[in-house]
Amino acid sequence: MLLEIKNLSKRFGGLQAINGLTLQVQEGEILGLIGPNGAGKTTLFNLISGVFTPDTGEIRFKGENITRLKPYQICKKGICRTFQIAQPFREMSVLKNIMIGAFVHSPEVNKVEKEAEEILDFVGLEGKKEMLAKELTTIDQRRLEVARALATKPKLLLLDETMAGLNPKECDEAVLLIKKIREKGVTLIVVEHVMRAIMSLSERIIVLDYGAKIAEGEPEKIRNDEKVIRAYLGEEYRRAAGK
Amino acid sequence: MLKYDILLQALVSGILMGAVYSLVSIGLTIIYGVVRIVNFAHGEFLMIGMYATYFLWAYFGIDPLVAMIINGPLLYVIGILIYKSLFRRVVLASDFTKIFLTVGLSLVLQNLALLLFTANYWSVRTFYEKMVINLWGISISYPRFIAFCGAVILSLLISLFLLKTDLGKAMRAVAQNWEVAMLMGINPDRIFMGAVGLGSAVAGVTGTIIMPYFYVFPMVGAAFVVMCFAVVISAGLGSIKGALFCGPIFGIAESLGILFVGADSGLIVAFLILLVVLIFRPSGLMGKGKL
Amino acid sequence: MRNLLFNWRDPKIYLPLILLIFLLILPIFLPTYFLHIMVTIFVFAFLSVAWNIIGGYAGQLSLGNAAFFGLGAYGAVLFTHYFNIPPWIGGVIIGGAAALFLSLLMGWACFRLRGPYFAISSLAIGEVMRLLFLHQRKITFGAEGVTVPFKGDSLLYFQFSSKVPYYYIALVMLLLGIYICWKMERSRLGYYLIAINQNQDAAEAVGINSVRTKQAALSLSALLTAMGGVFYAQYIFFIDPDFVFSLGLSIEFALMAIVGGVGSVFGPVIGAFLLRPAMEITNALLGATYMGVHLIVYGGLLITVVLLKPEGLIGWLARRYETLLKLLPGLKEKE
Repeated sequence: MLLEIKNLSKRFGGLQAINGLTLQVQEGEILGLIGPNGAGKTTLFNLISGVFTPDTGEIRFKGENITRLKPYQICKKGICRTFQIAQPFREMSVLKNIMIGAFVHSPEVNKVEKEAEEILDFVGLEGKKEMLAKELTTIDQRRLEVARALATKPKLLLLDETMAGLNPKECDEAVLLIKKIREKGVTLIVVEHVMRAIMSLSERIIVLDYGAKIAEGEPEKIRNDEKVIRAYLGEEYRRAAGK
Repeated sequence: MLKYDILLQALVSGILMGAVYSLVSIGLTIIYGVVRIVNFAHGEFLMIGMYATYFLWAYFGIDPLVAMIINGPLLYVIGILIYKSLFRRVVLASDFTKIFLTVGLSLVLQNLALLLFTANYWSVRTFYEKMVINLWGISISYPRFIAFCGAVILSLLISLFLLKTDLGKAMRAVAQNWEVAMLMGINPDRIFMGAVGLGSAVAGVTGTIIMPYFYVFPMVGAAFVVMCFAVVISAGLGSIKGALFCGPIFGIAESLGILFVGADSGLIVAFLILLVVLIFRPSGLMGKGKL
Repeated sequence: MRNLLFNWRDPKIYLPLILLIFLLILPIFLPTYFLHIMVTIFVFAFLSVAWNIIGGYAGQLSLGNAAFFGLGAYGAVLFTHYFNIPPWIGGVIIGGAAALFLSLLMGWACFRLRGPYFAISSLAIGEVMRLLFLHQRKITFGAEGVTVPFKGDSLLYFQFSSKVPYYYIALVMLLLGIYICWKMERSRLGYYLIAINQNQDAAEAVGINSVRTKQAALSLSALLTAMGGVFYAQYIFFIDPDFVFSLGLSIEFALMAIVGGVGSVFGPVIGAFLLRPAMEITNALLGATYMGVHLIVYGGLLITVVLLKPEGLIGWLARRYETLLKLLPGLKEKE
């Protein structure tokens, strides 16, 4: 068991964002995490990666309690996350962005530069290494986000809505890339709204609603689960009814 | 052996001075809270108030307490002018730009004063400057007491202003979130302008009421403002309640420092307190600063 | 075939070399007064480069670097005065250690916070140091200052009767400072500082300990600045708290970097070469009658640069330099 989350809770003022959540992530799997907007998916990522500290509960990575560690410490332990809205170092070149990630494990500039170049090619950014991050297209910024995270040599990678705003072709490319990443031995938790992508990627899916787990299982089972449908439909219904 | 009344004297001194620190700090924290600019030239607003008081007294024989009526609006206008010419340009800029803008302004104002008025120390004479109140075995000088009362009254008035009046509430709204305030029909530019004017006026009036027992010289603001920064940060940037509460604390710390360590050590003691606060309660003693 | 380490015909190589040689032979024919100006330019450029490490690269705007400067200066002078310990130990080691300790204290207090806290605290620290040294007159001689007694030319006690040795030492110090900054920019520390400056949250998400990184920058800046203080004390032979710990000094370090270009290796150097002579001239012409004029100019300059050209002159100058390089004859590297 790579990641174990026990009874996690987080409250923001009047909002219970995560409510007694318990889940496990097995090494080598691609775990899909879905749920309506506001279900707590990004909050969960923030809790795992150390941006927030939970009110109750504990997070264990490779058996070690990482609940109260800071983001940079968690990154060093081997968990890296991407952001929903890409956060590149805008005024830096693509290569340098990736190098920053690679520096976690080694201070040698030459070595890190080579590693960054390899990752650059791996994610499909060849030829763009000197471009400034702010000049990249949306999909390339996403690639950069993933590349930078990969440079930190994570055992567990948290992808937050990497495919938002991509067209179907770009989505397929993204799915391929994610599979390639898993082949390299990285475990993934993928948050997505693009259903076809997440259904084809994940071996297992967990569904969140109101900060709690409402369903868990294989994609087919999830697709037909009553509660899940209601959670999503409920959201549509709520919106349609103007609430 | 430490005598009880010497200690009491120091404490009272500290509270009297502390109220003054509170008032200047309120001005500083309003400007930061609303406009998000750390006004490194705030001490110079105090200085301008003091020089204005001096000249009103020297040329027209106007007593400082009366001069308040003139200096308040005067410094308000000066604040607005400075906002319009300088601060307005950097409202959305980086911390770097904002900080060095006000630092540059401070340099210019201080040395302009040096150029125009020389480095000499000037003071005003009042009929009450030698008067003393004797209470509980300690003596309180009249000018300090008046300044204390003035500071307390003004602090209360400002708090009431911010809490009860529409303009005050608008300022607090802008301090929390100017974009949302704008959507609700508040013109942030006018609020920023008002805040800077108000902060400046407060500093200027404080300068006025302390003239009876202080000297004015070009660097007087600089000395004062470091203490006020300590107060504002300990209180929590943007917190008025905090400034009210922390002013006397630092005033007392300064007094005790002077008593136990020696002259000039007041600031050092205050700074040590600031360091301790920053290390252990960085968001300020009153928590997240909100107006 | 690649020959030698350098391609002597390339103006990119020979132009700086010519400049360096020029600087090296300058003392031969330069009158003492101008030599003095050159020394102060070198020293201030060095101090501004040191400021730039924390102010430009780390983005932590120090308004109190004079605190480190003064510690170096007083360390050098007091230990010589009381114990006859050479300034290499009193100033460089002890003063340097004191500056380092102070920087750790400041970092601990401020670097976990975001916002203007560091600027404000650094300002306060500079003032506190000034008052401390002013107040403890039994040890530090207070406002009268301390004079360094001249005992004859000596490298051990770092004092010379002629300005020439100082010139070369200052030049070496400046070149060293530039080299350190240049190296830092290309090291992991440099990359990390720029990353933190651009997006601290993203930086921490990829494993950067921003507190420790900023602390490294501040400590480096503090040490170098203290060294500058040691040099200054041994050069001017007189120090007092109102100068060595002054806010004006702290601002001057920053101003030079800002005018030249923060966050670049040569920005502060350019700033120093422009501002120092200007200040000397203003002082010479007006200083006696009109006190503080040069500071009004500095303040005005600060406001103007920050409003109009916050990135400094380096961009513009770098382009002119490139144009110059293209026009000069020689065997240039293929693009």
